[in-house]
Amino acid sequence: MTKPDLSVNIGKIKMKNPVTVASGTFGFGQEMADFYDLGRLGAITVKGTSLEPWSGNDYPRTVETPSGMLNAIGLQNDGLDAFVNEKLPFLRQFDVPVIVNVVGQSVYEYARVSEVLGKTEGVHGLELNVSCPNVKKGCLAFGNSPEGIAEVVKAVREVTDLTLITKLSPNVTDVVSIAKAAVEAGSDALSLINTLLGVAIDPWRKKFRLANITGGLSGPAVKPIALRMVWQVAQAVDVPIIGMGGIMNEMDAVEFMLAGADAVAVGTGNFVNPMAAVEIIDGIEEYLASANISDVKQIVGAVGK
Amino acid sequence: MKGIYNCEVIAHSEVSPGVIRSLLHCPEIVRQAQPGQFVNVRVAATTTDPLLRRPFSVHAVYPNEGLFSLLYVLVGRGTALMNKIAAGENVSVVGPLGRGFDLGDSTGAQHIIVAGGCGAAPLHFLSDRLCALWGCENVKVLTGARSKNALLCEAEFISHGVEVVVSTDDGSYGHHGLVTELLQRRLFNSQLETHNSQHIRVYSCGPNAMMREVARIAHEAGVPNCQVSLENNMACGLGVCMGCVQKIKGPVPGDTSGNNWHRERVCKDGPVFNAEDIIWD
Repeated sequence: MTKPDLSVNIGKIKMKNPVTVASGTFGFGQEMADFYDLGRLGAITVKGTSLEPWSGNDYPRTVETPSGMLNAIGLQNDGLDAFVNEKLPFLRQFDVPVIVNVVGQSVYEYARVSEVLGKTEGVHGLELNVSCPNVKKGCLAFGNSPEGIAEVVKAVREVTDLTLITKLSPNVTDVVSIAKAAVEAGSDALSLINTLLGVAIDPWRKKFRLANITGGLSGPAVKPIALRMVWQVAQAVDVPIIGMGGIMNEMDAVEFMLAGADAVAVGTGNFVNPMAAVEIIDGIEEYLASANISDVKQIVGAVGK
Repeated sequence: MKGIYNCEVIAHSEVSPGVIRSLLHCPEIVRQAQPGQFVNVRVAATTTDPLLRRPFSVHAVYPNEGLFSLLYVLVGRGTALMNKIAAGENVSVVGPLGRGFDLGDSTGAQHIIVAGGCGAAPLHFLSDRLCALWGCENVKVLTGARSKNALLCEAEFISHGVEVVVSTDDGSYGHHGLVTELLQRRLFNSQLETHNSQHIRVYSCGPNAMMREVARIAHEAGVPNCQVSLENNMACGLGVCMGCVQKIKGPVPGDTSGNNWHRERVCKDGPVFNAEDIIWD
């Protein structure tokens, strides 16, 4: 049998395989390029980028929990200018689409960052981060209601033709209504899930473990919730979905695609195994070949009851 | 270049109650490792709890045998699991990681190492390398612990051929007091130290409060190069998650918020920093 076709499209983004990385777990690529050719990825999704530099939250910012971790980084980044001038030139040397995760404290900031990136060579898509639970202003404040998410997506849609991917929060009661609002407002695709809000406590010191008190839970512990949300949203919308949440190996990735994800993102798995993303690409190919499936798109949403 | 290696665990030995030395085989890491760097070990290969790797500083390298050692105190699940990996089994190791100590670029300097408790682990590797580079007569070790039982690496430092001065908080061995008092004495007592402070370099690893005091004393003495190795809680160890940050003096370019500081990653920009740059919380 010939090699299975792994290519997928997310809006106008042509991915040679369905595997990208989750924003915030891959920096801007430089550190991970020590381990493999970044051109092997279907796409690179870089860290949240804001209009001005953000210093993030106080330390401690991470804590391990059973089969997962909490983080409260607070979207520390050096801002839009530093990304365009210092980070992007490095990424342009690889044959891989670049998706920039966009964050802001106001609708104006989302639109301004998106407008500039839309005119910047080497940026192929924008992931609107309206779901980070770790910042006090903006972000999740927009993502936790259909009206808020629509406001951001519309404002960004007006200033750029780049593929827009809206990243959804699991910290809501009805993810489907929010997904629909994002699509109706002009989002070309959706990614889900962002982290789940949690806390961890040190019983001996009787104190919260994170300086921010609350943080976002990621890792294998969240996978069943992420799978459920991807499946629910895939039933309700007609745009591509990038599924993520605890993907550690190729079988996790296949589960997400069977649930309705067109592509997947590896997040916390990068920390445990820096080679995880490329091993998952190879593993998906082997899975398809052994199941006699010629095109990865055939498994999207193919879960049976 | 850093990599992911399957390293064979050769042996574990208990050097003092609750303190373990693990010997691993990995010629690639041995070739590349610099004093102050660390490795990130997957201590639970078949489960997701614990999920994350555990960072260990490189304690010693044995180039002829392709071996390196880690020295650690059994404090939590990660160190306990590390100690339980049987000799002959392989363990996944990412490294070497981080920025190690700057060892200087000329002869004639006096190198003073200040160790506190298990902070001696990476400083043992440093002492060995400084001796090889600049001669043991130019290297001094000041090492302290709560008590004699908690003191680490004294014999190893002596075996390098360097002068070693010991302190214990409880007075059970050596100077009765803090190791920082030894540094104060060394840098400010002209009868003991004839060198110009401009030619002194200080290297330190230990509890934060100790390193903060080391930094203060070195600054007051006019020592131009004082390096400290930090140990913040890490998630990725690679520089991508921004979890293990330390406040550093000076704003990042383009920051209009008025902050006169920024945060750097201990795992990637450190763990060794110039003491003068650090904002101690």
